[in-house]
Amino acid sequence: MERNGAGLLVLPGLLLFSIFMFFPLAYTFYLSLTNAEPTNVFAGDGLRGDEEFVFTEVLGLQLPIANYVDVLSDPAFWNSIGVTWLFVVASVGLKVAFGIALAMVLTSDRIRGKRYLRSIVIIPWALPPIFTITIWSGVFSSARFGLANQFLIWLGFAPQAFFTDRWLAFTTYLITEMWLAYPFMVIITVSALQAVPEELIDAAKVDGAGYFSRFRAVTAPAIKRPVMFAGILTAAASFQQFLIPYVFNRGGPGRDNELIILYGYREAFNFNQYGAGAAIMLTAVLFIAMFMLVAVWKGDLAEGVSN
Amino acid sequence: MLGDIVGKKLKKDLSTAVNKPREWRAELEYTIEGIQRGIIDPKDVAKTVLSTLAVFAFVFVLLLPVYWILMIALQGEGATLYSTDSAGLVPTEFNLEAFIWVIGDIAIPAKVVGISIPFLGEFFLSWPRIVFFDSSPYVDSTSNFPRYFVNSMVVGFFTVVIALSVVIPASYALSRRQFAGRMKLLYGYILFTQVGGGLGIAGLIALYTIFVSFGVANNRLVLAVYYAALAVPFNTWLLKTYMDSIPVSYEEAAIMDGASPFRVAWEVVLPLAKPGLATILIFIFLTGWMEFIVAQLVLRPENYTLPVGLFMLVDTYSVPWGQFSAFALVYASPIVFVYLFAQRYIEAGLSFGGVEG
Repeated sequence: MERNGAGLLVLPGLLLFSIFMFFPLAYTFYLSLTNAEPTNVFAGDGLRGDEEFVFTEVLGLQLPIANYVDVLSDPAFWNSIGVTWLFVVASVGLKVAFGIALAMVLTSDRIRGKRYLRSIVIIPWALPPIFTITIWSGVFSSARFGLANQFLIWLGFAPQAFFTDRWLAFTTYLITEMWLAYPFMVIITVSALQAVPEELIDAAKVDGAGYFSRFRAVTAPAIKRPVMFAGILTAAASFQQFLIPYVFNRGGPGRDNELIILYGYREAFNFNQYGAGAAIMLTAVLFIAMFMLVAVWKGDLAEGVSN
Repeated sequence: MLGDIVGKKLKKDLSTAVNKPREWRAELEYTIEGIQRGIIDPKDVAKTVLSTLAVFAFVFVLLLPVYWILMIALQGEGATLYSTDSAGLVPTEFNLEAFIWVIGDIAIPAKVVGISIPFLGEFFLSWPRIVFFDSSPYVDSTSNFPRYFVNSMVVGFFTVVIALSVVIPASYALSRRQFAGRMKLLYGYILFTQVGGGLGIAGLIALYTIFVSFGVANNRLVLAVYYAALAVPFNTWLLKTYMDSIPVSYEEAAIMDGASPFRVAWEVVLPLAKPGLATILIFIFLTGWMEFIVAQLVLRPENYTLPVGLFMLVDTYSVPWGQFSAFALVYASPIVFVYLFAQRYIEAGLSFGGVEG
């Protein structure tokens, strides 16, 4: 008992965290089985309003999963899932590549003032997301003064209406996500690079290995695990991106670019479908959970904390 | 405590900054001498200089959006709305209108305070409004920044108090004691530092429904408790990592002297963990200072925090970029300074040596 007594010190924090993280998720599950909307869910006292379970027949059984059946048979939902996965894959590739490249530059012997540069480079991380994302919405403003359009005009192209074309809007999401997330990758890669033993690199140099073969044979294996860990975390973060499409054009044009969390949010709060929204959110959570499980299991990440 | 640490760091950083130019000059002289004597290859020097310059230029381009917003803010209230040409990268005119619009009057409000002293009766203390700076000659109207600022401070204060009271004991236990499930919990916390935000949004509908059903939606204190809960995983882990670097021998010495476990924690470990505590205090405060999604969903205009107030500025068809920029910079600049101070700890914490153990 004495041995596990210290565990009690952890409980208050764990309890507080669970109440606000897991209880809402459990309640989301309940709501996803009902026809909840503002008029009925707030009708009663406390948590039990006038919402009712919505049933659908599956294999001769009446199950309260009508919302899930509706959501899964809605093409808009699958469009949202598709756009979200595309966003995850593309943005993670960009973030990791850019982060590693920048980290390599910022640890290079050829550069003076590296410490200062590193402080400056992570500034995007320090700024509140709503602030930076709104700036980027101004950068891609369709007006002439938008920074992106000033640049296009300077290059001799016609100014663009970035948010009214589907793939142009999607590209602006990608650029912004990369800009927001690269500092995290840079910090992690820089600390990993500094742990690469100098002697190994020198030995490779003596053996006559060029820059790229040195990177492939010495540096890459040494930074692989931290970068993978960061990549997985950053993929999970991309999957949950909400603010960029919300601030830029509410996931538009139309509902083409609604990433999954925004899709659920809009169903719930713009169209008052709390039940369906909850079903979408839980499906999204399921996707993230599966992704994390596979990533942690396949990536052997649990090993990193196993002492 | 915090002031003490920040003061010390400031002094150290300042002295480094003062000494840097001298170091640079010494290095430059050494290089020139080396080239003259033929020890150092001029090509090598040129490569270093050129690549350094190229990287500086690249970093400037990377941070162009931040520079751009600063330039817009410096051009006054409506500059970019009415004349598109003034929004270039090199502004021709400067004025501080937009910043004055954000801050408004700097004044101590008029107040009457009643003090009742037994047997002597009640006394009233009153003072008039004391104005240090009157904004009316410069701008027609002022922003709601001061009110949002107070709301954010109220939320931030309670977030910090509540979160610290659960994070400190937990990180001490995780750092110094063994118990069942310790590694699992720690690992879960590390994952939640990144995934937690999204799960929070996924539970948003339920969270909103719960808040409204209990009639606490527009309540700053409840929001603070929520933020404190969000801050638990990351900050517990960070403080634990910091405490790991405090030698166990100090504690053993105290135990030999007959100190109780509580006194060891309170009088030996906590004082040594001050810099770590300062860091997590800042992070916890920032959780509430930066959170937008939940705040904008549950708060009503009189209780808006700064991020919500900021967003409400742009949530119109014509964005007042001049005013927005100034508002955003006044809101965000303290955070940047804080990050520059805390950077060492973040880097140390995120270097994945911290994951092990």
